[in-house]
Amino acid sequence: MNSDDLKLQELLRGHRPVPALPPRFQQNVWRRIEDAEAPAKSESWLDALAALILRPRFALAAAAVLLLAGVSVGSLEGRQFAQRNAQMNYLAAVAPDSVR
Amino acid sequence: MNRSLLILIGALALGAAIFAGSFFTARHTTMMCCEKPADDLNWLRLEFHLGDAEMARIREMHEGYLSKCAELCAKIAGKKRELSSLVGTGTNLTAGAQAKLNEIAGIRAQCQTQMLEHFVAVSRVMPPESGARYLVEMKKLTLGHHEQVEQSMSGDSGHEHQH
Repeated sequence: MNSDDLKLQELLRGHRPVPALPPRFQQNVWRRIEDAEAPAKSESWLDALAALILRPRFALAAAAVLLLAGVSVGSLEGRQFAQRNAQMNYLAAVAPDSVR
Repeated sequence: MNRSLLILIGALALGAAIFAGSFFTARHTTMMCCEKPADDLNWLRLEFHLGDAEMARIREMHEGYLSKCAELCAKIAGKKRELSSLVGTGTNLTAGAQAKLNEIAGIRAQCQTQMLEHFVAVSRVMPPESGARYLVEMKKLTLGHHEQVEQSMSGDSGHEHQH
């Protein structure tokens, strides 16, 4: 290798671009390392509730309670409605509007 | 969107669907089961828990009452038609029309007396407590309407008009 080659190599090395690091690069790297090593954060109430809902025993119990409540309220409502209709039928028969 | 939130919304929707489905099915089934539109006396059976013997007696009285009631109602309808032709398009209330109004009021009073007598007779067929409750209910449903109108017209105070 002659002296010209050495000069050329030095010249090329001197012009190799070195990318600039983003601001606070080192600080951010250390923060991410600390986060990764820290114990897992406790889950939010929403996650806890979702987990509870997904438990088969809870889901079945909730569905059974809702079904029972719907049947009870519906039966009561239907009975009251039927009684009101029956009362109106009786009233229309024994006391026509012209008499009331 | 957050996965937990999606699960919660889905569960709520499913819960609402289960409740609504069971509610409407039960309501419809109960209505179909309890309702007998052809029988006028079904309400008495449902509300006052009457036995077959009591229902048979009341049914007999009911049939008898209906024929008398229909007769008087037909009379009222006839008098109303006469009144309508008498009033016509005139602007004054003639003596003839006033007399017709009095006749209608007389028949209506007769009809109401007969109706109240029927209620009393029916109440006597029922057990005393049910009979008393039936009478109160029927009075409220038939005569109560007029009382409400009269009370509202008189200022709902029970006092007489002061001129």
